[in-house]
Amino acid sequence: MSIEKGRISSQQLLFLISGFVQGSVLLIDFTVGITEQQTWMVLLAGLAIAVPVILSYAALAKRFPGMNLVQINDMVYGRFLGKAISIYYIFFFSMTLSFNIRDVGELYITFLMQDTPFIFLLVFFAATCAYAVTKGIEVLARVSHLFAVTGLFVTFSTFILLIDQMDFSNFLPLFELPFIRLFQGIHIVSIIPFGETVIFLMIMGSLNKTEHAVKNTFLGLLIGAVSLLVVAVRNTAVLGRTQTIWTSPSFQSIRLINIGTVLTRMDFLIGIAQTVLIFFKCSLFLYALAVALSQLFGLKSYLPLVLPLAGIEVIIAATVFQSPVDHAVITQNAGIIYSAPLIFVIPPLSLWIAKIRGLPKFETGEGK
Amino acid sequence: MGKKMVIILCFLMLFALSGCLGARQINDLEIVIGMGVDKDEDTGSILLTAQVVKEATAEKPSGSAGGGGGGDKAFWNVSSRGESIFDAIRQITHKTGNRLFISHNQAVIFGNVIAQEGLQEYIDFFLRAHEIRPTALILVAEDRASDVLDAKPETEKFPAMNIAKLVDTYGFTSHFYEVNMKDFASCFMSPTTAPLVPLVSIVQDEDCKDIYVSGMVAFKNGKMVGKLNHDEVRGLLWVLGKVESGVIIVPSPNERGKAVLEIVKAKSKVTPELKDGKIVMHIKIKEESSLSEQTTAENLATDKAFEKIQEATAEVIRQEVMAAFDKSRELNADIFGFGEMLHKKYSEEWKDLKDNWDEIYPTIDLIIDVESKIIKTDLLKKPVSPGKEE
Repeated sequence: MSIEKGRISSQQLLFLISGFVQGSVLLIDFTVGITEQQTWMVLLAGLAIAVPVILSYAALAKRFPGMNLVQINDMVYGRFLGKAISIYYIFFFSMTLSFNIRDVGELYITFLMQDTPFIFLLVFFAATCAYAVTKGIEVLARVSHLFAVTGLFVTFSTFILLIDQMDFSNFLPLFELPFIRLFQGIHIVSIIPFGETVIFLMIMGSLNKTEHAVKNTFLGLLIGAVSLLVVAVRNTAVLGRTQTIWTSPSFQSIRLINIGTVLTRMDFLIGIAQTVLIFFKCSLFLYALAVALSQLFGLKSYLPLVLPLAGIEVIIAATVFQSPVDHAVITQNAGIIYSAPLIFVIPPLSLWIAKIRGLPKFETGEGK
Repeated sequence: MGKKMVIILCFLMLFALSGCLGARQINDLEIVIGMGVDKDEDTGSILLTAQVVKEATAEKPSGSAGGGGGGDKAFWNVSSRGESIFDAIRQITHKTGNRLFISHNQAVIFGNVIAQEGLQEYIDFFLRAHEIRPTALILVAEDRASDVLDAKPETEKFPAMNIAKLVDTYGFTSHFYEVNMKDFASCFMSPTTAPLVPLVSIVQDEDCKDIYVSGMVAFKNGKMVGKLNHDEVRGLLWVLGKVESGVIIVPSPNERGKAVLEIVKAKSKVTPELKDGKIVMHIKIKEESSLSEQTTAENLATDKAFEKIQEATAEVIRQEVMAAFDKSRELNADIFGFGEMLHKKYSEEWKDLKDNWDEIYPTIDLIIDVESKIIKTDLLKKPVSPGKEE
């Protein structure tokens, strides 16, 4: 039996995914240093690569209704290999979650609350996520509309407020960078904002109806991608050549908002949007991690795991890197390598194997 | 347990979460509105001057006697020496007792010596520090920055605010333009474009000192290389399409007086062309103006006269552009950003051009096409003259 009793509608799935993808908006800064003025096309290329893979997640969820990733792995790959793959996924969830928690901390100590101790921010952030997760996926799904719309609102309003400072010749020359840098950029983008949606394999099992799952996954992804694209275009158009030197180009471009010397200092806008969106993303990750782990150990409920896991994540986040420089290097290089098979290989492979072996075999549809 | 514990916990959390950590009360802030960076000749270290607002006197109407120490000045120019900008800023706390609060900084002024030496080693902090906004203005003083910050303006209370106002309103003459930290960084990072920065000078008017912006200085490789006067800067702005308004004076068609035009609107389009290794920039300028003043009795508001005036205006604009270009050739500094324009259009060929841009730049040809139009004559349609047509 599934350990999640809550059910979400496929429309909520759309907002969950779009909010989740927007939660990575600060992470496209990793790409900007590599792909400079071509970031926007790298985003589009990354999206094009990620879409078929992500749609295969939805197809997989549709094929195994009511089952989560761990159950699917067990069924497709057998008990031992399936468990091994699930552990690999759990490692990925836990690493990505801790990196994201660290991102929030770095955002705060760099831009918003410089004097506050790092660990304090992490603890309170993780505690909030843990609280949200204990309420179950239904609650997160219900607030997803609000979060996704907040993200879109901030993205589009800052775009409009900065229109007078944009210089679209900053995108020229269109093709200048060596292909290898574009390739690295596409690799990062296809994994970090888009590919991480693989965690929805832990959530799609809770869908009440799966018929529109593929369509809504696609739409959600598209909304998230448009939001990221607007951000990338805004940053390049406003900052031009300097966009590669800032710690956070998004923050810097918003600091430039100056309309009639009245509408200035709009940093809070991005502060709100980022906090809300990364909170949302981290909550979904924590949820996926807790459910996956309890499923792996055959627990009846994931709730007892939430708080300890949040604590562990905070410790990883606080200790694993010494500085944002370290963080960026690992994410840009190692992070995208170890997560690639989980995102691009295993789910489509599972779908393929399931097709060949005619899984799931029983008609009742539910797990063991 | 249960509810009671939660209530107690919430109560305790009130103390932990009240957000006092890192809070700074307004009376503890040393609000900096302007900064000057000079070189201390004796020691070779940086002499940083910060203009701090004195809250107590700032509120009083200026000129009221008996303001706390320092007469009726509403500001305090506090300075200190240091090995680097940040070092100097922290050394200032020896005098102020508080950390400087730089969020409201309007302008950063670099002294002449510093500008000549190069801004590379000084600019970093102003972009890196989170308190300093990228919209802070950047200026160069003709002599020492601290003197500029000392000259008390007549209507404004604060020299720094006054300077910011002077630069903000460049549009009335288009004799210079506003450059903020981010704009400067953006030009500075370009391998070819020479950044320009407004130059502030002091004029001694009898017993009071006035500050004015006397043009702009061009930087090359981070070092100040030369100065552009008002007309040269406007020549540059014609090309960049940044002219907002200003005055153009042309002789009247009968050569007996002047027609004075106000620029209403200006647009430009620059198209680089690379043909057989020769670079030609096609510059198309469209200008609209109004007849704002005339000093002759002849009626200038006629089609014929308009035509002549428009031609003369176009010639003036062309000369200004050429003056700017000649100056930039003389300095061998690409103030127009022609290099970037070529880079954007001919990214393949640019790879070869980039390395010897300094040799190529003076050989560029300009083809300037100016279209000038008079669109209104303001309140008069005929001159104030005793009648009697020609």
